[in-house]
Amino acid sequence: MTQRPQQHSFNPYTENGGTILAIAGADFSVIAGDTRQSEGYSIQTRYAPKVFRLTDKAVLAVNGFAADGNMFVKKVRQRLEWYRHAHSKDMPIRAIARLIQTMLYARRFFPYYVYNILGGIEEDGTGAVYSFDPVGSYEREACRAAGAAQSLMQPFLDNQIYFKNQTPAPGTSFPQHLPLNTVLSLVIDSFTGATERHIEVGDSLEMYVVLARESPSIQALQNIVGIQERTSTADGERIFVIRRDLKKD
Amino acid sequence: MSIMEYNGGSVVAMVGKDCVAIASDLRLGNQALGISSNFQKIFPITDRIYLGLPGLATDVTTLRERFRFRVNMYTIKEEREIEPETFAHLVSSTLYEHRFGPYFVEPVMAGLSKTPSGGVKPFIAATDLIGCLNFAKDFVVAGTASSKLYGVAEGLWEPDLEAEDLFETISQTLLNAVDRDAYSGWGCIVHVITKDKVVTRTLKGRMD
Amino acid sequence: MFLTRSEYDRGVNTFSPEGRLFQVEYAIEAIKLGSTTVGIRTPAGVVLGVEKRVQSPLLEASSIEKIMEIDSHLGCAMSGLTADARTMIDHARVTAQNHAFTYDEKIKVESVTQAVCDLALRFGESVHDEEAMMSRPFGVALLIAGIDELGPQLYHTDPSGTFVRYEAKAIGSGSEAAQQELQDKCHKQMTLKEAQLLTLRVLKQVMEEKLDQHNVQLAQVTSEKGFEILDESSLKQVIEEM
Repeated sequence: MTQRPQQHSFNPYTENGGTILAIAGADFSVIAGDTRQSEGYSIQTRYAPKVFRLTDKAVLAVNGFAADGNMFVKKVRQRLEWYRHAHSKDMPIRAIARLIQTMLYARRFFPYYVYNILGGIEEDGTGAVYSFDPVGSYEREACRAAGAAQSLMQPFLDNQIYFKNQTPAPGTSFPQHLPLNTVLSLVIDSFTGATERHIEVGDSLEMYVVLARESPSIQALQNIVGIQERTSTADGERIFVIRRDLKKD
Repeated sequence: MSIMEYNGGSVVAMVGKDCVAIASDLRLGNQALGISSNFQKIFPITDRIYLGLPGLATDVTTLRERFRFRVNMYTIKEEREIEPETFAHLVSSTLYEHRFGPYFVEPVMAGLSKTPSGGVKPFIAATDLIGCLNFAKDFVVAGTASSKLYGVAEGLWEPDLEAEDLFETISQTLLNAVDRDAYSGWGCIVHVITKDKVVTRTLKGRMD
Repeated sequence: MFLTRSEYDRGVNTFSPEGRLFQVEYAIEAIKLGSTTVGIRTPAGVVLGVEKRVQSPLLEASSIEKIMEIDSHLGCAMSGLTADARTMIDHARVTAQNHAFTYDEKIKVESVTQAVCDLALRFGESVHDEEAMMSRPFGVALLIAGIDELGPQLYHTDPSGTFVRYEAKAIGSGSEAAQQELQDKCHKQMTLKEAQLLTLRVLKQVMEEKLDQHNVQLAQVTSEKGFEILDESSLKQVIEEM
């Protein structure tokens, strides 16, 4: 039983599991992620947030290698502050998206092992979701899932949000934008489904809701249990957080 | 290059109220090259038992013949039709015979077993490539789009769906899952099995 | 003012006992020899006008470039040692493009002005491990005109690295008289056409030669069309309306 020569080296990356999801509405955006952080078959912690508030209009979810994810958020926040001082204004979300691309591509040959999803309100008041690959390729979309259970969630969202493979009843048409309470239900159902079938997903779910100025969707949030507001400016956009439990097995 | 992904293809089976459904795509490929959009992966074993065989195409064809042989032998010797649960164990032991040089398939079974009162009990099962049985109460999935099938099925399935609703549910599950898998698709076929009949339909889906 | 000059005006970076940097002040003086340049801001856009100062009839007037584009929404006019301005404008262009590349948005007028002014004081001898950019200050003043989300804006920069926002400004040899004229005639609700005509009238007043479409140049920045330098026929039309 002879062995071949083995080379050992330090692997700078590891996978910490978890899943994130963002859906854009007409005048709102929902950005969600589970809170489980794992490595292999072990759970490192049941509560490690993956979704972060950048401004009152923009929320960034990061998934993949947690160390890179957390550091990346710190660096993005730093650039946001430098921009605020240099240009006396908050970065519009399309500018944040482009900035994230340049920050990621700058590390093209030793990447941040992170799948980013940026969600929030665009300058024209519409809901926006931007998704990125680890080296900065990005695109604006209506909805995107990323992480361990991406392959489980994305096709479900294709069917329920884009109405793929469905034809409307004769004389009717599918709505262009879904209302906030429908979207929140879809997010919760996506995560409970993923929790059932994927071991790296579970423990709890954190959903950020970003509303445009004077959005009528605020009505849908009135009776939600345990909702917390995180708005800090008087510009008009508002941010809320909703936490829910997921199965812990 | 994984042998299970060489030809591509996926199968899903679901339980409804006094009915079951089993569905698959129709693609046969040679890695990224598509060869056939008419490759059957689901075979009737009896009137009431259907077997789906996603995986390496040569093993699909070979096993179809092997099971035909073994089920015929069973029918002749037992002088009765094989029951779904028994057939599932037959599949399991056939695969385990080749434990250290397996067939590269992940069988999915759907059928209706007879109850003492004369009614029917829906039955689904799946095994891995070496015969480990999974008797699920809701749905089973296999193939290159299995993770996608899990996701959509988990979102769309609910218990006690009637035959027409089960058809819609399994169809949407298959269609949306294979649309996210490059190696599955190119046509879909669905069988809905009830006490009196089996309805087979081909679905209109993306052909890319 | 220069009676107190002694040894303190030779060291480029040396303060005088009164706390003055003579080289910087002398640089500002240099601009007073330059050709007159006028800028006027209106709610519809910003107008820039320059005296070309064609020294000889053999000189190809179209080769004189004293108004330059920085970006589609930004332009600037110069007065003084115009060769110095090329470096500054190039820096402004690179800054504007970098900003658009990184942030997918047009840079603010004030931000690009600040970037240009950051260059102004990089002169002198090089310190041990740092490189000096230049041996002397810039000898040119710029009028930067642009439009951003805060509307049309006009900024004046000079060799000290200061920038100031103006509703209307004249620089160069005829600037004193021109500035007075602007103060009298400008009002907040001017139309673009009125601003163009006023610019030309002011230039006409301070120019030695007779004003025509060959010895002046007009440019404007508007939200509809961005920055554009008027071509000969459009310029001729405006001159005729004067």
